[in-house]
Amino acid sequence: MAYRILIVDDSPAMRTFVRRVVALTGLDVSRCLEASDGREGLEVLQREWVDVILTDINMPGMDGEEFLRRLAGHETFCSIPAIVISTDATRQRIDRLLALGACRYITKPFLPETLRAELEAALEVPCA
Amino acid sequence: MPELSVTRTLQECVNEVLEKMFFIDCSGEQGGELSPEAGITVRLEFEGDPPGVLFLRVTAEAARDVAGGFLGIDDKDLSEPQIGAVVCELANMICGSVLSRIESSATFRLGAPHIVSSESDSGEPGRRVQGAVPDPAACSAAYAAMVGEGRLVVRLDLEKPAWNASARSAF
Repeated sequence: MAYRILIVDDSPAMRTFVRRVVALTGLDVSRCLEASDGREGLEVLQREWVDVILTDINMPGMDGEEFLRRLAGHETFCSIPAIVISTDATRQRIDRLLALGACRYITKPFLPETLRAELEAALEVPCA
Repeated sequence: MPELSVTRTLQECVNEVLEKMFFIDCSGEQGGELSPEAGITVRLEFEGDPPGVLFLRVTAEAARDVAGGFLGIDDKDLSEPQIGAVVCELANMICGSVLSRIESSATFRLGAPHIVSSESDSGEPGRRVQGAVPDPAACSAAYAAMVGEGRLVVRLDLEKPAWNASARSAF
């Protein structure tokens, strides 16, 4: 099964890096969609279905916390697993984002293997 | 958290970020100057307990190395905006990584990293960092590293000494 991924981050460099690391994981990904903040992410979701979302927190416009709230409150989008990728590794922040609906939390810096493991867990990919 | 521990944390975070996200092994030393050699300087303010500012200065050679490692693009194909964006992202990651270790249990908030073009904007870049903290209540730490043929210097200025939860519980 080929997966479709949405990357939400205000940094084009970070989006490029995540796309590159996703390719390195070896997961069968048919498409990586991108958005620069939560509002743009919701617009993408209105027209494209994705299997998993990778989102930053600290973004101008709609930040990651509000984005997760909107996803959780939406009748369809609430079923899409959302993984947070952030430099903020404080326990308080991680707990808050998980409570808002994120299914996984990856702290930067991270290894490609970490991203792969979290994606597989979120997508419930069967072990090889 | 004593100043030396902040410096050590800064060193660990810089090395870890460069290794994991930029695929670069670097060698470095505690202390160092934000010397006025050619390159890119990024300033990043943050709110938290304590608040402060992080400066990252990279030489042109180091900037191209980190950008190439991060984006997976050959040096010759990199544009100046791409290099600047990656150096800003590097500052963002180093700062977040350090603050996650030294701040108290309260969350912090990073401002947007931006490239400072003039010496006056960058906060006295030529000033010696170690042993020259103007405010006795403040805390400053710096770390310099060789990145390929270039050099990288990070300076973290905190408005007051940082006390993480484990350090605080010791008193």
